[in-house]
Amino acid sequence: MSFINKNTRPFYSIPLLLFVLILCAALLASGCTTPEEPGAQEQEPPDGEETEQLEGSVKQDVDFDDPQIIRLEGPNAGFPSPFAHYPRMRGTVMKYIFDSLLEIDEEDYIPWLAKDWEISDNGKEHLVTLRSGVKWQDGEEMTVEDVVFSFEYYQEYPPVFIGEEVMDRDFLISIEAVADNQVKFVTAEPSGTFYGEAGIMRIIPKHIWKDIEDPYEFTEPEAAMGCGPYILTDYSQEHNTYRYEAYEDYWGPDQAVDVLEMIPVSEEVLALESGEIDLSRIPPDVAPRFEENPEFKVETSPAFAGYLLSFNMNDHELFDDNRFRQAFTYAINKEDLIEKTARRGAKPGSPGILPEDHRWYNPQIKHYGYDPEKAEDILKELGVNEEKTFELLVGEGVEVRIGEALKEQLAIVGVDLNIVALDRQSRDSRAFDGEYEIALLAMGSWGLDADWLRIRYASGGDETAGGGSATALLGAGQGFSSEQLDHLFEKQRQKTDPDKRKQIVFEIQELLAETTPEIPLYNGFYYYAYRPDHYGGWIFMFDHPVMEHAKLSFLDRE
Amino acid sequence: MQEALLKLKNYLLRIFILAGLLWSRLSPTGRAALLILMLLVLTALFAPLLAWHPPDVSSGPALTPPGDGHLMGTDDLGVDLWAMIVFGARVSIIVGLGTALLAGLGGSIAGIASAYKGGWMDRVIMRLVDIMIVLPDLPVMIVLAAFFGPSLSNIIIVLALFSWSRPARLIRAQTLSLKEQPYVKMAAHYGGGFFYLLFRHFLPELLPLLLVNMIRLAGMAIIAEASLAFLGLGDPTSRSWGLIINHAVNFSGIYFTPFWQWWLLYPWLFLTLLVTSLALLGRDLERVADPRLSS
Repeated sequence: MSFINKNTRPFYSIPLLLFVLILCAALLASGCTTPEEPGAQEQEPPDGEETEQLEGSVKQDVDFDDPQIIRLEGPNAGFPSPFAHYPRMRGTVMKYIFDSLLEIDEEDYIPWLAKDWEISDNGKEHLVTLRSGVKWQDGEEMTVEDVVFSFEYYQEYPPVFIGEEVMDRDFLISIEAVADNQVKFVTAEPSGTFYGEAGIMRIIPKHIWKDIEDPYEFTEPEAAMGCGPYILTDYSQEHNTYRYEAYEDYWGPDQAVDVLEMIPVSEEVLALESGEIDLSRIPPDVAPRFEENPEFKVETSPAFAGYLLSFNMNDHELFDDNRFRQAFTYAINKEDLIEKTARRGAKPGSPGILPEDHRWYNPQIKHYGYDPEKAEDILKELGVNEEKTFELLVGEGVEVRIGEALKEQLAIVGVDLNIVALDRQSRDSRAFDGEYEIALLAMGSWGLDADWLRIRYASGGDETAGGGSATALLGAGQGFSSEQLDHLFEKQRQKTDPDKRKQIVFEIQELLAETTPEIPLYNGFYYYAYRPDHYGGWIFMFDHPVMEHAKLSFLDRE
Repeated sequence: MQEALLKLKNYLLRIFILAGLLWSRLSPTGRAALLILMLLVLTALFAPLLAWHPPDVSSGPALTPPGDGHLMGTDDLGVDLWAMIVFGARVSIIVGLGTALLAGLGGSIAGIASAYKGGWMDRVIMRLVDIMIVLPDLPVMIVLAAFFGPSLSNIIIVLALFSWSRPARLIRAQTLSLKEQPYVKMAAHYGGGFFYLLFRHFLPELLPLLLVNMIRLAGMAIIAEASLAFLGLGDPTSRSWGLIINHAVNFSGIYFTPFWQWWLLYPWLFLTLLVTSLALLGRDLERVADPRLSS
């Protein structure tokens, strides 16, 4: 290797080497210091309550001895104010902070900030008496002014969730403080649903919101300040975490949980087993694993979210024929569908549309049962033969499986289905635009007030109701109409006495079961597992199948 | 009649001798791969005879474990898994073969044309090839698959669109040297047109190389089809292996249940077998086709 010797120039190489060494050292040094700074900052002991983002918000120095801490899996549901949160989780992240006039327990609406709620005989005046001694989390007293302000403000700036009637200025004509602790709502028409809709609106503090002109962008710490049982002490949009602490001066029941945290986890079942989270929804086939373990308790939710089969009656005269839809009802084996596509996690859909677990479900309706022979007979009568193929529009994932199972079942009675699978959004938009023959639709919230039947099945209804999510598309636009039903829908809407309303809703279900505008296939329920020794106060609200969305799950109810 | 028979006999004999020659030059892994491939092709061909349950409708309770009339158990709809796998082999093999043929032939014709004609055609084709090589295929395939809609032929076309560039480059390089051969020049001189030369001289000469390439393409296409199906972009009601895997993986909590032990394992196993044997055979054939590699 002689050429190396020839080319080596020792004079130059030593300074060069030194220079490189110094450069390296300098780089190393700078490289070391740069990452140190944020690291050092992170190591600063966090004072347990605040992050930068919430500087200046409510602080309380409470030492819980042996605090009850509950950790939950939670998606990023946005900033917890009534205006800035995302629709997912039904705004639960802000409901912990904000109270409403009524609250929801397992059975019904219960008095909350409202001590008393009187409806006048003509059904148009609601006199609400407020509880006294309610304090905002910054220490100010909550007054009747705050309630009036909240409703007026909501009419100007609708929050993420608001009932149609509360928002409509032509319906809710006046909101007035009639005494120190009394508000009077006056509505244009008597309404049986106003009570529930207005009752769950969050009350916001006037002294914070009165000058806010863009509530949707208002995400200062004080925007997440209410008079509810929990104070938001940490929210990080980047990390998807929320932390709440019990509010010491809360007017209501004691908090059974002192600290509530929501964290993202990758696999809920594993996180529950390792104790990372305290409550988890588990797949039906995993339920036995927890049922056999004495450490855990497994509970099932009411069955609400479900699938239904919808027929485009404008498209086909055949679909408009009641008997054709009934033939489908006879031909579909709901139990088999559940066994295959929902495992143990669903209950058969009711022909009267309102699901079995709805509090106003009428068991005395016409039940069809699985009867393929009868279906075949009806179809023959109608002249449907095997050469006719119907297009079945389905979404993705399990819906394809439901479609396949349906295809198999209907082949037995000689109906050929051609499955067209699209992603959920395309399916919804096609269903909404009426570009389908038969569609499988997924819908949540079947447990809500029965008035949703009116929104969905009344003719001449607002086609855009339901936000275009295919949950309310079968109005006049889809071709279904029944005068008799329309009449009952209006009648129940105007009845303010819940018992009388319930009777009408029962009648509506009977009629729906006869006319079968749509075929509910099944309503799914959830399995929940938790460690009762650690915390066992979980409940379900009567209209909603998610335990952690119930505020009462965290409060001491004794 | 007798002449024809004799001719046929001769052909068969030649094929046997060629096959024997090939067999003798394969490594043990190559031989095993060839055997497995042949078995899988036979499975696909004779699927209706091999499966005693239908592959598209349920034939038993949901999620039955293997045994008891269901060789490999059933899926969530109660469809026999063995039936789905033997019929699914058809999908995989059709996709593999279809893509390989389409892309291999298309690519090699483009390569030969580019090399033989030269000039602007060469430039245009080669720039196209460059573009295709630079484009990340999976994302674009996802877009195309979503756009064209899920059907088997669409998937083959989309896959072929993305895999013709490699054979084209390879064949072009070989053709460049081939076209300088005296006999090709002679043929052209006597008036042999492009297509005459293509079918008479270029393709036969380049066939071994092309075959090796096509085997690779087939392996890639099968995986790509399975990935698209896995991502939910295949025909969701078909019964390809990728789709079986897709349904299994989407079953909530499958890893906490014993179901994955058949529902997920078997299609995965068959997919792996098919693709691995294609790869091993391709490697061996490459060595056989290119004497420089065997030393």
